[in-house]
Amino acid sequence: MQNQELSSLRKKIFLTAYPIKAAHIASAFSIVEILYSLYCDGVMHYNVTNLNDPDRDRFILSKGHASLAVYAILNKIGIISDAELSTFCRPGYSLGGEVNINETAGVEATTGSLGHGLSFGVGIALALKKKKSPGKVYVLVGNGEIQEGVMWEAVMTAYKFKLDNLVVILDDNKVQKMGFTRDTMRIDSWNERWAAFGWIVDETDGHNVEQLTAILKKKNNSDCPRIIIANTVKGKGVSIMENNPDWHFKMPYRRELKVFMKELNISEEELEDAKSISPCAL
Amino acid sequence: MQKAYLLALYELAQNDPNVVLLLADSGTSYDELIRSSMPDRVYDFGIGEENMVAAAAGMASAGLIPYVFTAGAFLAYRSMEFIRNDVCLQKMNVKLVGMGTGLGWSTLGPTHHTTEDLSILRAIPGLTILSPCDPAETSACIKLAYQIKGPVYVRIGMGGEKNIYADNPLLELGHFNTLRDGNDISVFASGIILNEVLRASDILQEHNISVKVLDACSIKPPDEACIREEAKSKKMLVAVEEHSVTGGLGSALLETLSSTGVPSKVLRIGINNQFGTGYGTYDEVVKANGLDGQSIAEKILSALESA
Repeated sequence: MQNQELSSLRKKIFLTAYPIKAAHIASAFSIVEILYSLYCDGVMHYNVTNLNDPDRDRFILSKGHASLAVYAILNKIGIISDAELSTFCRPGYSLGGEVNINETAGVEATTGSLGHGLSFGVGIALALKKKKSPGKVYVLVGNGEIQEGVMWEAVMTAYKFKLDNLVVILDDNKVQKMGFTRDTMRIDSWNERWAAFGWIVDETDGHNVEQLTAILKKKNNSDCPRIIIANTVKGKGVSIMENNPDWHFKMPYRRELKVFMKELNISEEELEDAKSISPCAL
Repeated sequence: MQKAYLLALYELAQNDPNVVLLLADSGTSYDELIRSSMPDRVYDFGIGEENMVAAAAGMASAGLIPYVFTAGAFLAYRSMEFIRNDVCLQKMNVKLVGMGTGLGWSTLGPTHHTTEDLSILRAIPGLTILSPCDPAETSACIKLAYQIKGPVYVRIGMGGEKNIYADNPLLELGHFNTLRDGNDISVFASGIILNEVLRASDILQEHNISVKVLDACSIKPPDEACIREEAKSKKMLVAVEEHSVTGGLGSALLETLSSTGVPSKVLRIGINNQFGTGYGTYDEVVKANGLDGQSIAEKILSALESA
């Protein structure tokens, strides 16, 4: 049942992107289970009928280009309609390639320029503490964007301010835009690096919902912020896209499309339907 | 000015529990006032302006009203993208207070001079920009910024500034106060450099040139009606700025006039496509950059002669 829901999310992401022929599909596929765990497996507290509840948990997608995964999950929980989803990147509509707080209900921060989301989340976590709110802040960061120096400013201040209400999930898919992260930046161990900054570190298979949820629900008994290093596969769910840097921002050609359709269980009819959807129906 | 800023902020913080002060190892001795009586209102982010500005936006998204305080250069330049994306793009209620702007850090030189902040920040949609000229106006700006539900940048000096206003000035967005009336030319300026402008106007008076001096504290939005009106009735408009002549107040005058069809000679006096030069006291560095009263008067006289 859960596997089917996860497959449906990937299918929806692909079919939403396909008519536009421009989207970060592999980056979105990398975080499907993480978002499912947060929004659909009881980790985050939120109220779909009161999105402005001051005590809600907040989710921030710091790697804003994986927006389609967020839209798909917001669609699944009933915040974004199917009709709205079909407006993705269409002129005259507001659902864009990067998440935007002003334009999409349920989005807590506008991101797109990498390295901003964690600092923004630190600010929310500080405000929630000041207001004595039980709300927590979950920030999903990419393994590439932590090369931005400002991320480490945020890492230091989260520890300084004892933000035990802040949880970072590192989508460690080992790939970034131009290639493998190991070729771009010499990295030994994320685990040790974050621990050295005082964070509580956990590591998990980022595609195993059961494991993710168990770790995300773990009580934080310290006064330190937490990071969960989620070992993920970029492009997870389509064999030719998995762990292949070429697919950072690419749509399948005719022959590749057959693999996508087969592995995502998409029929010819569904593909034609997706192409024919007119956002004017909204 | 820094003291006036802190006293105004202290008053706001006493009346509104959401008002908080953010620092990047950038406080002054005046902070002690808030630190000692309201320690939970002061957040020192350490030396990391970008993170502080983005965190301010996050705080504002959860209902706080952060006043971010650090050197103008580090605020405007180093954290520019964070001001743009996190604060302004997301319409967050964050107040940015840049200190020692213009040539204020007179002994530290060009890394600390804030002479392009207006060019950079004026271009960002949704950001109100205020540039007070004395302690009383600083206090008024801090309070006006609080009334505005959105991002505001306030450009202040290093401290020890003289009073220009006898009483608390009436400060209105998009309105320039007249500091001195005159018939021949109108000089627009904002910030501490208005002291030099008033000195220049005394010198010009000796040459029988009657100068109207306008306080352009509301840099963005500017007082467009006033600019148009002055352009109609004066033989020359002058903008004096402790800032680059590219993109600052002089540019704002020209932008306004470009849409009015009122041709008017506009003289821009400021820093000409170079970094601020020289070291010394504030007055000495102002002089080294041709912005003392005498130099301003000479530039205006020379422009009037060639007009």
